Amino acid sequence: MRHYLIPTTCRFQSVIWTIIFGALYILPFGPDVACIADDWTQFRGPNATGVSAAPEPLPAEFSTSQNLVFSHEIGKGIACPIVAAGKVVTTAYAPETGFVVYCHEAATGAELWKQVFKVEPESLPGKIVPPNEHASSTPCTDGERVYIYFSAIGLCALDLANGEPLWSYSLPLPYYLMDWGPASSPIVYEDMVIYCQDDDLDQYLIALDKKSGTLRWQKPRPEMLGGYSVPVLCTANGRTDLVVAGTGKLQGFNPATGEEIWACNSLLRTMMSTPAVKDDRIYVTCQSYGDAGRILKDALMEWKDTNQDKKLEKNEFEKPFWTKFEKADTNGDGFLIQEEINTAFQAPTNMVGGGNIMQCIKGGGAGDVTGTHLVWNLDHKAPSNISSPLVVDGRMFVVKKGGMSAAFDDTTGQTIWMQKRIRNLGDYFASPVAGDGKIYVTGENGFIVVLKQGPDMEILAMNDMEDTCVATPAISNGRIYVRTLNKLHCFGESAGDGK
Amino acid sequence: MTTGLLKTFAVWASLLFAENAPQIDVVVGPKSSELERHAARELSEQLTKLFDANVTVHTAIPAEARHVILVGNPASNPAVREHGGDWPKLSPQGIVVRSFQDKNASGVIVGGGSPVATLWAAYELAYQFGIRYSLSVDIIPDENPELKMSGYDIIREPVFPIRAWRTVNDFPIGFESWGAEDQQKLFAQLAKQKFNRILISVYAWQPFVDFKAGGVQKSTAMSWYGEKYPIQRDTPGKVVFNGADVFENPDFAGKDGYEELTASGIKHIRHLMASAHDLGMTVALQMSPLEFTREFEKVIPGAKNSQGPNNVLIAPGEKQDLDDKALKQLVTAQIRAYIETYPELDALYLTLPEFPEWEAHAEEAWKRLSEKHDLGDATLESLTEAAGNRNTIASGDRGRKALRGNVAALAFLGDLIADGKLLERADGKSIELVFVQLDPGLYPVAEKILPSSAGMLNLIDYTARRVVENQDVLKDVPAKKRPSQFIFTLADDNIGILPQIATKRIETIARVLVEQGWQGFATRMWIPAYLDPTVHFLSRFSFDPTTTARSAHDEFFMSITGHQSSADRLWLAFSHLEDATEILDQNDIGFAFPVPGMFMKNYKPEPAPEWWTAAFDSYLEFLNELYRAGGNTAPNGYNFIFYYSKRSEFVLEYIGALRALREAAIARDAGEIETAQEKLSVAIESVFNAMDILSDVAHDQSDRALIALLDAYAYRPLLEEQERLSEAAEAGEK
Repeated sequence: MRHYLIPTTCRFQSVIWTIIFGALYILPFGPDVACIADDWTQFRGPNATGVSAAPEPLPAEFSTSQNLVFSHEIGKGIACPIVAAGKVVTTAYAPETGFVVYCHEAATGAELWKQVFKVEPESLPGKIVPPNEHASSTPCTDGERVYIYFSAIGLCALDLANGEPLWSYSLPLPYYLMDWGPASSPIVYEDMVIYCQDDDLDQYLIALDKKSGTLRWQKPRPEMLGGYSVPVLCTANGRTDLVVAGTGKLQGFNPATGEEIWACNSLLRTMMSTPAVKDDRIYVTCQSYGDAGRILKDALMEWKDTNQDKKLEKNEFEKPFWTKFEKADTNGDGFLIQEEINTAFQAPTNMVGGGNIMQCIKGGGAGDVTGTHLVWNLDHKAPSNISSPLVVDGRMFVVKKGGMSAAFDDTTGQTIWMQKRIRNLGDYFASPVAGDGKIYVTGENGFIVVLKQGPDMEILAMNDMEDTCVATPAISNGRIYVRTLNKLHCFGESAGDGK
Repeated sequence: MTTGLLKTFAVWASLLFAENAPQIDVVVGPKSSELERHAARELSEQLTKLFDANVTVHTAIPAEARHVILVGNPASNPAVREHGGDWPKLSPQGIVVRSFQDKNASGVIVGGGSPVATLWAAYELAYQFGIRYSLSVDIIPDENPELKMSGYDIIREPVFPIRAWRTVNDFPIGFESWGAEDQQKLFAQLAKQKFNRILISVYAWQPFVDFKAGGVQKSTAMSWYGEKYPIQRDTPGKVVFNGADVFENPDFAGKDGYEELTASGIKHIRHLMASAHDLGMTVALQMSPLEFTREFEKVIPGAKNSQGPNNVLIAPGEKQDLDDKALKQLVTAQIRAYIETYPELDALYLTLPEFPEWEAHAEEAWKRLSEKHDLGDATLESLTEAAGNRNTIASGDRGRKALRGNVAALAFLGDLIADGKLLERADGKSIELVFVQLDPGLYPVAEKILPSSAGMLNLIDYTARRVVENQDVLKDVPAKKRPSQFIFTLADDNIGILPQIATKRIETIARVLVEQGWQGFATRMWIPAYLDPTVHFLSRFSFDPTTTARSAHDEFFMSITGHQSSADRLWLAFSHLEDATEILDQNDIGFAFPVPGMFMKNYKPEPAPEWWTAAFDSYLEFLNELYRAGGNTAPNGYNFIFYYSKRSEFVLEYIGALRALREAAIARDAGEIETAQEKLSVAIESVFNAMDILSDVAHDQSDRALIALLDAYAYRPLLEEQERLSEAAEAGEK
């Protein structure tokens, strides 16, 4: 049975529009949206699920010489493509070109516009660990405007029709203790653009008016460490919550005000993947380095205590961290030792460690729901630290380094298969996506393995993109849009060979 | 937080920069040489990066100038004549970096005893300001340094007048796979480190020369001993090859057949020579005069195979005596072909065969040498016996043969060279002659038996550790009587593809060489990945022998990382790497020699030796310290350190794969095919990861070659073996 992953409150509206417009219907969020049903408007598509509900067939086999609709060299980037209103939007950054937002016609690949932002290299985070790139944040759109986060700019909106800048909202430059670099992505909900920034210097959830860019609300998240989980929406008990995964906690917020409604204190130290929502359930997977006892302090002593004197000094951190350092240096001796290190960057109320988890959490709660809403909790070594879970067709699918896959019953958490290789080794940073009864699993080495959606792991094809792949592909209107490190490809069954 | 329209940041920022930018005026003499003008341009670019300065080049000091740099010497630049004060007496390689004060301007003079020395002085000033030169990039300090013009009074002469960088040579992991454009960039980095000679080492099978001898036309033209490195659809890390279906030197891409390859090869070498000459370097060509491609067997019937991969070369055998006319014609034709093809060669280095096959006529050769020269008490027998009993790698029978072969070769070549025409350049200039790899047993008589005015380039043993352990041999070299250069092995091809370094050992050797008056050195290495600290040490030591490995390390990494603590961690890191290098050298010097069988020779049913664990642990510590240092490295140096650390992960995967391979072999021999398959899968994944990691940071042809080579010699054989085991398992089940 195919699940159309639209929050239940909106389903009725959707059905009405479907009746009126046949295959076309308006997306559920907000009164003035112009997206059509099969658009892929943000990171990992509808509500970050990675699931396309559209009926159009998708190719199993594709390459630069097979089922290729178009291909463009667009420069370096790892943000996912988004598709709306017949347009596909991508980003790229290079010191020579600056930050570039591209808009191509989704059907033909014709370039509709591009907006170039000159960026002084000094205004960027100085250090970024590969495979991260500066153009890492996936834009989102409501079909009229495209909303973009870029570290040196902050959040901004462009007119989707012509790329003209409409507003910008500057945000503090994010800093990560381990130099990971920024990679968080915004979403659109109703008349707001919502963005979660969890870095090691500042952590907050922010909502801006999507038309004007003015602040609607901002919620500090002082208990969080650096992470990249994209906010998702979960409707349960007639209420739609904004759900964000972070250090040690999955939290539900009132999207209108940013007020915290509930928290499930079952997550781990470093949260990079994004939860998947199906109906009123939220699925979270996480691999955070080390065991449950390994808190941030251990990592700091191992990697930031450069001179290994068991004390942390100011000059072992980048300058922006110095204020935090001074605050934690309670005796003012210029060093952080023992307890001072414990709490310098990790909140004393949230001292969680590493490990592996796969959890199903029921939405719609209130207060601390750890003991009441955690439906199942698995401690398998199956999850990736970055790639998010895919929940489709009654199963939760995960993939990690080595092409090691596993699948679980989404209701019970029971294992369907464990440790099965999808026959493509290497790293997996992109998240799996699904459509037309197929699961598309993108390896960093540029191979996209296509699996049959079903109770057994069956490989349909292995498709070579001939470039590094970190971005999660987009699916829209029978097309797959693949953003490799340097290019944007579009594949479709009707394209045939050699196009 | 504020809201606002976009697009204004850049304009404001650039205006801000322009207003605060200091003005620096660089003054070069109106009749200066091209190299001096190049020095001025280079300095302008560096000053702009260092100080965000506006830099203008003039031919006289502008009246309003405040910060001035004068380029040249009193003979080439009137401004230097005016402000240079008591100009020191300099050799053509001497450099001066000296402050001066005019009534309005403060400034620095960068000059030298020749135009190229002036170029080095310019680079030295930028170094003093904080720029560090690696083999691939310049690293600029993150914080703009103080624009300080006062306090400089540096006058230096090199302790090693020859500082040669060997290139081309063999194997894809070495410079044989580098295109001339990439090498040109490398040479530019070497010039900044005051290297002054490019030594182009070639083999007879390579496509760099075309000649006929004894009625036979040379027809062999290949790369890397004829090995091929296809890139397949599933080659891990293949993205670095940009869609190519075979790994190639870009200068030979798509070329096929003797004529096409040779034409490309000659163009390639000429490009290298021109690049080096443009930087004021001399160019030497190193070739083996007694090795020939197989088609010349018709000219010297009965020739022996010359030892080396794929038996692509022959050498004279017993049938060729010292007066063999055909052999003389062949040797002459080959040498003349190089000299005529590359008429601007400054020096010719003749390599005495590494594994001499031509030793049957040693007695006759010794007799002839003894008749010509007073060899004192030395006898062939006593020298041969000593060669057999020494501790270097060429000892025992190999040592005896090496010495005897050298004697035959020297007697033969001495006669050929004596007629004076062999080494004549078309323009009448003389070519400097250097003999390479004279057997150490002949050092006591070297002064006598080498042709007059010929120098030596000596290899005592393959690794720096081995040389240090036999350093007494260095004292036998008549360095004060014959120009003697030393081959510094920065990384050895026997240890091969694995990360290695030997800076501390090289420091020990360098001190001995200075004490004994050696003329200089040539480098020997294949993969340059980790060699920046060593090259930097050699560069600094060559002009200041008080430099130690540690002080050079600190000077290099303090500026790059911005923190002493990071430099300290990197010192530990490279010490661990040097430990790993020595563990490999002591236990199995050919552990990862880059030839077919390199990996699968370890597929034997034996437990992994303990020294693998020791080497692994040292590499792991190396890696940990690199990451630790990288975490506290300023942004401009971060990518430089990250390359080291990320790349180092590959070796852990490689050793992990070897361990799994051993376990697979044990299981296979025990008839546990399923276990063997599992272990092979582990090995396959580890090799995949090793290649994948390399592809994440590959930044030169050596890195790319390593991926291609691992595919050919490790990944494919593993897949084939897994397939074979699967078939065996299926057959067993049936």
